[in-house]
Amino acid sequence: MLRLSKVSKIYEGKVAYRALTDINLEIEKGEFVSIMGPSGSGKTTLLNIISTNDMPTTGEVEIEGENPHKLKKNALAKFRRNELGFIFQDFNLLHTLTVEENIVLPLTLDGTRVKEMKEKARDIAESLGISAIMKKRTYEISGGQAQRVAIARAMIHKPKLLLADEPTGNLDSKASKDVMKMLEEINDKEKTSLLMVTHDPQAASYSDRVIFIRDGKLHSEIHRGENRQAFFQKIIDMLSLMGGDGNDFSSVRV
Amino acid sequence: MTFRQFAFNNVLRNKRLYIAYFLSSMFTVMVFFTFAIFAFHPAFSNGSVNQNALLGMAAAGGIIYVFSFFFVLYSMSSFLQSRKKEFGLLIMLGATNKQIRLMVFLENILIGFFATVGGILAGLLFAKAILLVAENVLIISESLPFYFPTLATVVTFGSFMLLFFFISVFVSFILRTNKLTDLVKGDKQSKGEPKASIFLSVLAALLLLIGYGTAIYVEGVGVVYAMIPVIIVVTLGTYLLFTQLSVFFIRRFKNNTSIFWRKTNMLLFSDLSFRMKDNARTFFMVAIISTVAFSAIGSLYGFQSYLTKGVKEMNPFTVTYSPWRDDSKEIIENDINKINAILEEENVEAKMEDMELTYYEMLDQDRQVLITKASDYNRFAALIGEETLNLEKDKAIVVEQSDAMLTQGTKASEVLMASNVPLKSGEEIKPSHVIKSDVLGELNGYYVVNDDIYNQLGTVVRSDHSAAWKAEDGQTEQVIEAGRKLDERLDHKAFSVEYQLYEINKAFGPILFIGLFIGIVFFVSAGSFLYFRLFTDLDEEKRKFRSIAKIGLTETELKKVVNRQIALLFFSPIVVALVHGIVALTALSHFFDYNLTVESSLVLGSFALIQIVYFLIVRFFYVKQVKRMVF
Ligand SMILES: Nc1ncnc2c1ncn2[C@@H]1O[C@H](COP(=O)(O)OP(=O)(O)O)[C@@H](O)[C@H]1O
Ligand SMILES: [Mg+2]
Repeated sequence: MLRLSKVSKIYEGKVAYRALTDINLEIEKGEFVSIMGPSGSGKTTLLNIISTNDMPTTGEVEIEGENPHKLKKNALAKFRRNELGFIFQDFNLLHTLTVEENIVLPLTLDGTRVKEMKEKARDIAESLGISAIMKKRTYEISGGQAQRVAIARAMIHKPKLLLADEPTGNLDSKASKDVMKMLEEINDKEKTSLLMVTHDPQAASYSDRVIFIRDGKLHSEIHRGENRQAFFQKIIDMLSLMGGDGNDFSSVRV
Repeated sequence: MTFRQFAFNNVLRNKRLYIAYFLSSMFTVMVFFTFAIFAFHPAFSNGSVNQNALLGMAAAGGIIYVFSFFFVLYSMSSFLQSRKKEFGLLIMLGATNKQIRLMVFLENILIGFFATVGGILAGLLFAKAILLVAENVLIISESLPFYFPTLATVVTFGSFMLLFFFISVFVSFILRTNKLTDLVKGDKQSKGEPKASIFLSVLAALLLLIGYGTAIYVEGVGVVYAMIPVIIVVTLGTYLLFTQLSVFFIRRFKNNTSIFWRKTNMLLFSDLSFRMKDNARTFFMVAIISTVAFSAIGSLYGFQSYLTKGVKEMNPFTVTYSPWRDDSKEIIENDINKINAILEEENVEAKMEDMELTYYEMLDQDRQVLITKASDYNRFAALIGEETLNLEKDKAIVVEQSDAMLTQGTKASEVLMASNVPLKSGEEIKPSHVIKSDVLGELNGYYVVNDDIYNQLGTVVRSDHSAAWKAEDGQTEQVIEAGRKLDERLDHKAFSVEYQLYEINKAFGPILFIGLFIGIVFFVSAGSFLYFRLFTDLDEEKRKFRSIAKIGLTETELKKVVNRQIALLFFSPIVVALVHGIVALTALSHFFDYNLTVESSLVLGSFALIQIVYFLIVRFFYVKQVKRMVF
């Protein structure tokens, strides 16, 4: 459903910087893929290109056979809103809105009927266990709850592809586990394709496949077998094999 | 490095942060100083200007100073808000509260000093520019020359150093221990949504209704007595309108999901309700000072129009001549020849008519009444192209009193209609109807009768000669010049409208100018309040739009939200001020008993137009800024 062919990104500036080099990548429908790599290796850049927030310098991105980068500005914004879902490290919620309002915000912009929005919000809140906090404001809830709200907002329009940048980066290990379980369940039930950038091996171990990049190039990838614990061990091994200095993975939590 | 040096360098290093605060303070000083230049102008202190106008100026000066205080305090507090992080850092690095307070104090004094000096310099330029404009727009020939404003400089410098000193003390006093830690940790999150009390919301509506009702209802002198209470009630009402009633409505609105959840409404109104506390203060100030601006200019313009229009209406002729009562036939003839000679001298081409105005004793009236024959009336009417009358035998009609007459009680026409025109024979003619006409300069109304009847009237008790000239159009300058000579040489017996109007405008020019100036200054300050309000929140806005754009926000949607947001900010206080202005000018027109609709519409319409243009300009730059950050 997602195909990247020979994607490169060069940041122009006083000194041009090559952040990505010839990335080829394919993700199947319903697949859950993590991207890992040391910090500064180009993970966020790659995600931004896929999320159409940034343009590749060369190469092509196809989502369900369509190249979104060819769309006009307004159409692109609508595409992002309707076909993609986003989860951010800092939750990216509006603090002037209640939880419920945050969740339905993308739908309001499209002029969805209020009754329909209410129903959708209620359903998704129930499945994510946040029904009790719907009327609360964002500063009244915990980080784990905030990220679940963000997931609800990303999922309310049933996107084809869910993109997450360090979704557990601001959470403690308990909340991280909850959020990852939730994402796994969504991937399982809704068959939503999921692409997640993380440097938390624990979080990565919930995915079907982990792709490692380094210095803007694909390094290797490993698939999950039956056992998540074994997969987790393989990820740790790969990270240490990749070297770099261990500090890059300071958020390792076992 | 001593702490004092640190404070000094701190200002220099964080230039960008300080510039906004500095500019707004400087702007305030500039406004006050420019005003002071005019208020202390030698031309006004020599007694040539009406005492009331001077009083008005003093009041305006006081208002400007009070608003300066709030404006500086307000800019100051948003400036401090934007520096929370810096204070937090300083505290973490071990600075004591006392040190931070001292730093804030020194900074303020420093900024205040430079703002005062800069404002005075800018004010000099501004005043000069305004004078240039004024000289070309209004008739104030050399009466307001530019001068070196020593007194204004001293007063401005003194008042503002005092003001900055007090604000600095005040602010560092406010920054006590707990406040400071509040500032540091208190980010956007602790900022709760303002709530409204139903009681106060209802009170706001009531106060406004009572104020408006009274202002519109009272007439004549009543307006003067009602003025102060109405101003207080409406000001209070306006304050509550913005702090309570509007919050109340926004909250109702937010709770109504079918509206709040529609399209971009959620984006638009969520922030609005949070910022309503800050907005309310700005809205209130803007509404009040704009009202002052509208009313000041509207009243002066209305007053001028009242004066000149009265003169114009009563005198449709270019020159009218009315001799003193005991002037002999020779003197009159001599005068008329003189007038003709002067008109010729100035190359004024004019036609002339003259007649005897004859007054009669009437039975049931306590004054002598003018009765003219139709043919005389018609000759004068023809001269100025008015409709002539065609009166049948036995007919008499009544001409309505002049609009310029202030009347409470029965109009002259009613009295005239109620009585009959007595003839020598003892018969009486009943007047048939009333017409309006400015043909004869008689204030109190009079009869026009058929020529036959005129010859059968009783004894004339008084007879005035009246001569009138009508110049052809397009000779204004010659006519004014001729008018000046007539005024000099004919001992007030000849009256030239054009010259009279010229004199009125000349005398009124400086007052109108000051009114205009105050109005413009107030209006410009109102605009800058709004501007600062808008740009204080720019960063937060950018962040908000950025985070929504990541999920997907079209440029059209962004523009729509920003557009409405700025429109609300710019127009809600102005609309309130316009309504206030309409009410105030209506009251004024009741006081004069003179219709000010045209003048009010012109003044208020111009301000509305300026505000629209201002809105368009600010919106352009704002949208550009936000777009650059977001897309
Ligand atoms: N807007 C930008 N302009 C220039 N260089 C950038 C920009 N964004 C990121 N980079 C550089 O590209 C590299 C990859 O960054 P990023 O994708 O953010 O890495 P990470 O894997 O930590 O998410 C880094 O070296 C970073 O400095
Ligand atoms: Mg990153």
